[in-house]
Amino acid sequence: MIEFTLNGKTVSTNDSPDTPLLWVVRDTFKLKGSKFGCGAGLCGACTMHVDGAATKTCVLPVGAVAGKAVLTIEGLGTPDNLHPLQAAWHELSVPQCGYCQSGQIMAAAALLATNPHPDAQAVEAAMAGNICRCGCYTRIKRAILEVAGSNLAYDATRTQPATEASA
Amino acid sequence: MNASNLSRRRFLRNSGIVGGGLVIGLNLTGCSRAPLPVPPLADGLTPNAFLQITADNRFIFYCPRDEMGQGVTTGLATLIGEELDVHPADFEVRFGGVHPDYANPDFRMQMTGGSTSVKAHFLPLRQAGADTRALLLAAAAADLGVPVASLRTEAGHVLNGDDRHPYGRFVGTAASLDMPADTPLKSRDAFRYIGHNFPRVDGVLKATGTAQFGIDVDLPDMLHAVVRRSPVPGARLRSVDQAPALAMPGVTHVLAISTGVAVVAGSHWQAKQAAGKLAPVWEDVPLAGIDSATIQEDYARAMEGTDGVVALDEGDVELGFAAADKVVDARYWTPYLAHAPMEPMNAVIRIADGRAELWSGTQSVQAAQGLVARTADIDPALVTVHNTYLGGGFGRRGTLSHVTEVTEIALAVNKPVHLLWSREDDLRNGVYRPASLMHLRAGVDAGGNLVAWDAHRVGSNIGPDSLRAVAPGVLPGVGERFIHGMADLSDRITSDWFADPTSTEGLADDYDAAHRRVTQTTVNHGIPVTFWRSVGHSHTAFAKESMMDELALAAGQDPVAFRLKHTRTNKRLHNVIRIASEKLREMQPESGRFLGFAAHHAFDTDVAEIAEVSVTGNRIRVHKVTCVVDCGLAINPDVVRAQMEGGIVFGLTAALHGNLEIEGGAIRESNFHDYPLLRMDEAPDIEVIIVDSGEAPTGVGEPGVPPIAPAVANAVFRATGQRLRSLPLRLSA
Ligand code: FES
Ligand code: FES
Repeated sequence: MIEFTLNGKTVSTNDSPDTPLLWVVRDTFKLKGSKFGCGAGLCGACTMHVDGAATKTCVLPVGAVAGKAVLTIEGLGTPDNLHPLQAAWHELSVPQCGYCQSGQIMAAAALLATNPHPDAQAVEAAMAGNICRCGCYTRIKRAILEVAGSNLAYDATRTQPATEASA
Repeated sequence: MNASNLSRRRFLRNSGIVGGGLVIGLNLTGCSRAPLPVPPLADGLTPNAFLQITADNRFIFYCPRDEMGQGVTTGLATLIGEELDVHPADFEVRFGGVHPDYANPDFRMQMTGGSTSVKAHFLPLRQAGADTRALLLAAAAADLGVPVASLRTEAGHVLNGDDRHPYGRFVGTAASLDMPADTPLKSRDAFRYIGHNFPRVDGVLKATGTAQFGIDVDLPDMLHAVVRRSPVPGARLRSVDQAPALAMPGVTHVLAISTGVAVVAGSHWQAKQAAGKLAPVWEDVPLAGIDSATIQEDYARAMEGTDGVVALDEGDVELGFAAADKVVDARYWTPYLAHAPMEPMNAVIRIADGRAELWSGTQSVQAAQGLVARTADIDPALVTVHNTYLGGGFGRRGTLSHVTEVTEIALAVNKPVHLLWSREDDLRNGVYRPASLMHLRAGVDAGGNLVAWDAHRVGSNIGPDSLRAVAPGVLPGVGERFIHGMADLSDRITSDWFADPTSTEGLADDYDAAHRRVTQTTVNHGIPVTFWRSVGHSHTAFAKESMMDELALAAGQDPVAFRLKHTRTNKRLHNVIRIASEKLREMQPESGRFLGFAAHHAFDTDVAEIAEVSVTGNRIRVHKVTCVVDCGLAINPDVVRAQMEGGIVFGLTAALHGNLEIEGGAIRESNFHDYPLLRMDEAPDIEVIIVDSGEAPTGVGEPGVPPIAPAVANAVFRATGQRLRSLPLRLSA
């Protein structure tokens, strides 16, 4: 049995320890916001925070997160309680198909938590692991820079869970 | 070509035999009086297939088209909301199920594609909104005891003097009144939502991970399936030892299906691990002897050996060449490509008590319904299809072999099944943008006039393959053998008689020239092909717009002025090029950066793009793209802008990276390490200028793609003197 915290709540699973965290979160704990895009650590659709760090979870065995804190898009914000990045994503109409966007936002949130005021180059470097086939890059970049530069002042504490996991 | 040939070609084209749309001609639109596939509303109004209004003033919009990122929910909610006087963001958007009322007016069946949605629904959805508003006004007038003329509407409310009544208050009375028809539509100066910017209606869902995609559907008791398919398209399973997979944890079934061998388990991960243990043996097929080099050699040989079938013949090209002072002759190559939408193919099905229920994000719920019905051998009326959001489409989600697969598996295991393809499956077992070899020859006379344009394309055709893929779904009552017969006939027709329009569209249409000819020679090795964002334009624009630069430079003319000079009869494209040329004149790229230009007309929309490029060693970097688009009236200009941005990035992936290699009949590439997609650090800044237009709206999902590859190639020529005539663009040292 493997125990970890998922969006602030302690959970445990009997899934075999080599099961990627992505599938445990999606299929065992039924949180479907994190996506499968490549299964090989190449696209970032599955990005979650593990102890605060943006992590590709399609290649991360759940055994490796025992005792750690996992944050997913569902824990970052909800439609009624948007994280500043999520609000910017909406206002700037960043998403197209939307499939990559959970991963994009989690990668961006981890960046801003460590570097609240990145420049464009730092954003590009931090986001290079996340593919968007719809080509929303100019807007993703703009949304991150806008949140980073806003006098709403990015609130890093918002990477704490907004809701409890439903599992 | 003589007149009778021409009219025969038109007839065939319209009947759809050539383009694969034979389906359309034969497809009976079904009975419009069939019950609507929407949950009944006890206490509310369902005025038509698109709307429900509840007593507590909620507005539900059943979107007739599929949302794959192109913004169709926003666009169509805007059309109906404009006339209904409901803000588009105030709708709860759901996807209509299968019903004739949801047919795409351009296709007369339920299909999303061809950049048609806003154009085709522009009037019908506004009419539905206007008639519903008129109905609500009549009900309000009756309930309030005032004349209709004294009432106004605003944002989901009826205004009576200073009183604001929610529409919901009148739904009871409205339900008892006759539905008005042909209510006059608003004039354009009265638009509150059309033509205005506001955030996409699906933005919050997609920023919070709460938009449901097919992959997210999770039914109680559901099993998970993974399929091993032959690496060589079309090869059937010869044998497989099931034991190694059956011995793996969680596995419940291993079974042969039409496309290969399915492994079913309690979870996706278990199914995937077990499937990896199998060593299926596949039958030998001729395609297994084919490599990319064979294909290129066969295409080159066909280019020499045949004149091809005629797609366009105006004037007499040889006469034109005789009058030419300068002739440029060049060949262009574009490879097979995959769509690679971020969400791999998937479908979820429950079959019980003679009924089936399918969940999947598709570009045709109607085809999905038919495929389930055909495979399960039940009446289509007993198949409910729930469309979800699509994690990208680009043409890929019109081919639904995964729906057939999941049905076969569920019939065998007697439980709900979730089937998920891997990225490797997506790249290796898909349907592709066809490869093309294009030979262009064009001549300019001493006065700098384009006098002859001769273009010959070699490659396979989308029409027959799409017939094979789509007809079994949309014609569930027609036998498989008949459909294959039709597809084979379509193969023969397009190869020997009339060119498939999607093979050569855009190769010669944009510029004035007295003598023009386009021919097509079909060589088909059996790699399955389909529509890929911008279809034929994705390869023809590269050849045509590269040639325009080559020709202008050979004739000592400015390439943009040369285009302006030859679009006199093509006003919209001319205007777009003119606006772009003015931008171009103002641009002062920093040293080491070079500008390239291209323009193209596709899906009734005109686009010009300017690429600002630098070259370091062999590396091509695109810094900025300026795009001018005329798509008629822009329903939501910001969505138009987003589609141009997305189309440019999609086209840049093809220009800089996109390539599938065939080895032993199989696709070599397997994941994003060897089929790279553009990432943020390679993505240019993009400026989009939308031409202010009062004309009816035209397509935006696809037309941003075609001009970017030639614009970059034209810039690379300026930067290096190297004329790159193959995609992806590769500089030699
Ligand atoms: S799904 Fe994990 S990186 Fe692509
Ligand atoms: S929004 Fe479609 S892949 Fe990014």
